[in-house]
Amino acid sequence: MKEAALYMHHAEKDPLEAKKIAHDTAKRIESRELKLLELVQSLGEYLTDDDTTVRAKAIGYLSAVLGELGPKSLSRQQVPVITQFLSDRLEDETGLKEVATGLTSLTKMNFFGNAEATRIMAALLGVDLPKHPPTTRFAVLTLIDALMSGNRDALKAMGDKFVTGLADLVGGEKDPRNLMILFSVMKVILVEFDIVRHTELMFDIVYCYFPITFRPPPDDPYGITAQDLKNRLRECIASTHYFAGQVFPSLIEKLDSTSQNVKMDVLQTMAACALSYGPTTMSAQSSQLWDAVKFEVLNSAGEDDLANEALQTLKAIATCLSKGLTTVPPANTPLARYLKAIVKECLELLKEPQQKQAKPAGQILATVATASAPACAFIIQSTLPALLLIYSDAGIIAKQRALMQCLNRFFESAIAVYGSWTDVSAAPGIENPLEEHREKLFGIYSQALMGSNKEETSFRLTAMRGLGKLCDIRRFLADNEIGMVVQYLDEIALDREEKDEVRDEALQNLRKISKFKSSLIMQITFPAFMAQLPDSEQESKEENKPYLGTLEALAKLSLERPVFEVLLTRLLNKLEVVLSAGSGPEYPRAILATILHVLQQRSQSTLEDTKAYYNRLIPPLLTKTVVPLVAGGSAVLADDSVLDVTGRLVRIITHELDAENQEMVMRSVFELFVNHSPSNIITENAGIVASTFRPLDKDASKEAAGSTVILTSILAASRREISLPVERVPSFLAHIIELAQTPKSAAHRLSLLRLIALVINKWTTTADSVAVKEQSQALLSSISNMEQLRILFWIATALLLRGDKYGSEVMLHLVELLSHAELGATAARGFAVLLGHDEFLNAENFAVVRLLYKQRVFSQCVPQIIDMFKKADSQTKPNLLTALSNILRSVPSTIITASLPSLLPLLLQSIELHDADVKAATISTLEITILENADVVKEHVAGVITRLLKAACDRGEEGNTPAVRKSALRCLRAFPGKLRGELLLPYKRTVLKQLQLALDDPKRTVRKEAVDTRVKWWALGEPDE
Amino acid sequence: MENLQNANPTILNLSDLPTRKPTASTKPKSALTSLAPSYANDPFAPSSVPELVSDDSEDDDSVVESIDAQEIYDLVSTMCDPEHPITLGELAVVNLDHITVQDDPEELTGLITLEFTPTITHCHLATVIGLGLVVRLQQALPPRFRIDVRCREGTHTTDRQLNKQLADKERVMSALENETLMGLVGKMIETCK
Repeated sequence: MKEAALYMHHAEKDPLEAKKIAHDTAKRIESRELKLLELVQSLGEYLTDDDTTVRAKAIGYLSAVLGELGPKSLSRQQVPVITQFLSDRLEDETGLKEVATGLTSLTKMNFFGNAEATRIMAALLGVDLPKHPPTTRFAVLTLIDALMSGNRDALKAMGDKFVTGLADLVGGEKDPRNLMILFSVMKVILVEFDIVRHTELMFDIVYCYFPITFRPPPDDPYGITAQDLKNRLRECIASTHYFAGQVFPSLIEKLDSTSQNVKMDVLQTMAACALSYGPTTMSAQSSQLWDAVKFEVLNSAGEDDLANEALQTLKAIATCLSKGLTTVPPANTPLARYLKAIVKECLELLKEPQQKQAKPAGQILATVATASAPACAFIIQSTLPALLLIYSDAGIIAKQRALMQCLNRFFESAIAVYGSWTDVSAAPGIENPLEEHREKLFGIYSQALMGSNKEETSFRLTAMRGLGKLCDIRRFLADNEIGMVVQYLDEIALDREEKDEVRDEALQNLRKISKFKSSLIMQITFPAFMAQLPDSEQESKEENKPYLGTLEALAKLSLERPVFEVLLTRLLNKLEVVLSAGSGPEYPRAILATILHVLQQRSQSTLEDTKAYYNRLIPPLLTKTVVPLVAGGSAVLADDSVLDVTGRLVRIITHELDAENQEMVMRSVFELFVNHSPSNIITENAGIVASTFRPLDKDASKEAAGSTVILTSILAASRREISLPVERVPSFLAHIIELAQTPKSAAHRLSLLRLIALVINKWTTTADSVAVKEQSQALLSSISNMEQLRILFWIATALLLRGDKYGSEVMLHLVELLSHAELGATAARGFAVLLGHDEFLNAENFAVVRLLYKQRVFSQCVPQIIDMFKKADSQTKPNLLTALSNILRSVPSTIITASLPSLLPLLLQSIELHDADVKAATISTLEITILENADVVKEHVAGVITRLLKAACDRGEEGNTPAVRKSALRCLRAFPGKLRGELLLPYKRTVLKQLQLALDDPKRTVRKEAVDTRVKWWALGEPDE
Repeated sequence: MENLQNANPTILNLSDLPTRKPTASTKPKSALTSLAPSYANDPFAPSSVPELVSDDSEDDDSVVESIDAQEIYDLVSTMCDPEHPITLGELAVVNLDHITVQDDPEELTGLITLEFTPTITHCHLATVIGLGLVVRLQQALPPRFRIDVRCREGTHTTDRQLNKQLADKERVMSALENETLMGLVGKMIETCK
């Protein structure tokens, strides 16, 4: 057997080769070329060698071969023989790891049975395991784990011998990887084995690890976290109620620990035990647990993690004691006894509801009440009468308010137990315990909201929230009662004398009610709100009926589909009325903006919906917009500001249509704008429109030209696959570019520029690209005005987005223009367009957007800018810095970081420019840099701090607007904690001294930033930090 | 939990504490009024005002907002009590009515007085609270202000003695050298918003 010698030769130096040798041997055994017995015999001489490593390696060879064998390879006769052979080797502890690994492989054989398992286990129990290294122990534990999952009955049959023996075997284990196995083995033993006589021994083995304080080493190859160990150990501790007598006293003791982590672990373990030990066990423990855990809640400020965990522990005990109960618990049940003590103590504290411990007392009651319907019933029945009495005797409003907050928590518990209207799960069998007090509660809360002084803001807000929650409890208030609440809320929301926060809260509650009782909103709220809308702008002014607030409120309530349908109908009717009264553009715009707002808020609407909205909204609206332009009448809808909203509506609705419908819309809009044939977008006077409406003519009126936004919107919303219904895309494009050189208004200009970009990005083919190139080249070579500059920037953007190389060429020309005497400054600002987000030109609107396009722009532009900067004159430098700041503003900071060393000198100069925008952008880049990658700034700390201090404190310098001062202060605040203290300490005095100037800033918000920044610097190097 | 002197003090509700009335610029703008036409923002125009800068519309330095009692209150009311994780405002240790500001633009110096009220009359932490208030105000106010922090008369068994200590500059200075004391003060200031 040369293989054995070869394997042993390679075992350490070349494990891969060794494995291959073992694999080959295994293949030979499987093909019966070699007998396993022969292999064992061939090891004979090595197994008696005096050198222990030789013996271990020999067994290692056998184990490795076994590991490569399939489960069917060994016969019914071979398995016991090999088992016996290897088990005997366990006495020679030198090869323990290899033997254990081999045995683990054996357990996977088909003919491995309980007899073999017992034999191995018996032999294992004789091993002195703790003296072996962790990896060896790991192999043994893996073997035990394998036996536990494959031959559990055999181990059980070994009885006490196994249980006590195992305790000796694994005692004192410390390695985290081994503990993970040990804990899962122990859990099986605790749950399934007969351990009653050894409870104490088992407890000692497991509990000695609590609390886990393990911290994984930084290069831990196994990725085991403290949390993994905690979870497994917790499962062990919680697995048998026999531990209860020892676990709880010890956990209670550990609750006194000063470590937050340990306390959290204790509370979570208590909860896990409570949930698993069962009501009989827990009934004996519940009172001492309550006495111990309550302090964690009562003495906290109420919101911290520890208090929350303690609340969950108290709840878990109630959950456990509720098992099997389906009625209000009778007084002699463990649950009633547990809750009685809680109720007694908490009620006492709630007698003074304004004091600190009242809030946590209320939280305890409310949280425990969510444990089960019986617990909820018991707590509410035994506290509510007393609480209502405290309320009526309170005398002062602040006290009533504090109590109401406690009641509001009870309502939340009722929602948790009984569900809200939108829940579909089954309700508990016990009647809602609040039912008994329904009228009283409704009365008190209604009175508090509607019958108290309007100045009592927080009191009424609390009452309103409470009413909202009462409405939300499933099948609790009747529809007429919820209707009353809706009326109250309407009244408040429409009352302009109410404070904003009160009106907002009313709206929010109405919004919530609209989710489960939308009919009430439509029947009660809509008529009330619509009645507040004036019929004309004149009426709005004369009768003091501002429409914006009402429209906004309506928008907030109309997110549910049925409500939106009603809103749409009513608002379109209102628009009709307003237009016929001869209105200016503001009111119609606001009405359309309301519809737009709701559509923007609504989650993905179905296509079916959208088609209906399209038909109801778009053609009628466009008809009303266009027809007056050709046939006379009020052209108010063709005002730029209204058309802007109309365009967005058209885009958002068209976007949701399917391809077929989009194609139809595209054809119609081209008939209207380009082909001058009757279009079905126009529902009346289509003939006159077709013969006279010429928005894309050079001499079109300003209004007609302005309506181009409709065409642009539809192109923006449409899929690329839908072809443009024009003969030649390049000629169409050329025409638009021509128009864009003489726009008639800002709105018209933007529509045309977007149109150019959309056509180039979405609809030019490779064949067209030559034409695009020619048209751009013509502009570039003769550039003389701002309009041409704008067109070039939009062309570049459209090309860069789709990853077109020619785009980079245009862009680099634009960078060169930064030194142009007249156009340089404008070009610098234009770089905001190149990387900015456009509402119409983006991936969501089917534009081609290449990944990493921002990176590409950055890496092509920035080096050239830096290069130009070195040679630039003083007039060009600001342009370069402005362009740079516009690029940096839109590029993810991860991209910037790599180039920062070369950029930083430029950034520092940018802060000194007298342009507020550039300053602010630069400072915010710096701030992000410091927060995310402070080391880059390390060598420039002095320069950065000096300049920031100047920007923050020198109010005389032009460009240091309050906003710039604030961002400079925020940026200074980012330093401490991000850079090592000793780098900053030299500047501490200067910073603190200089910032005194900012403390006297005329603007309050600046002073606030200065205070916060000073505190941060002041604490620098303090012993407490 | 160590023994607390006053484990269950009365707490004011946050929403009942005095606050500055929101000005037009701090109020969240409504969705409809803030819907600017898309063509209104022209990045090429020199006057373009990106969001970064425009977040306060009163971006005008000629309107001076002077330091008032509410501002002082806001500086100290979110400080934390040394005994509870609750703010001095909620515990009514500091009250807006007990703060005065004298800041005459004609004068070179101003004066701020703040009287605080310990939660119980024998609170041994009153000195720490007083010291904390002094430190906070010294840090947060321009040096032209003289700061007078005192315990409100009749609210503490030793208020005279205490006020003498707080008024004594040298004793305050030496207290600031004390690391334990400054540790406590640092904790109080940590929670400031």
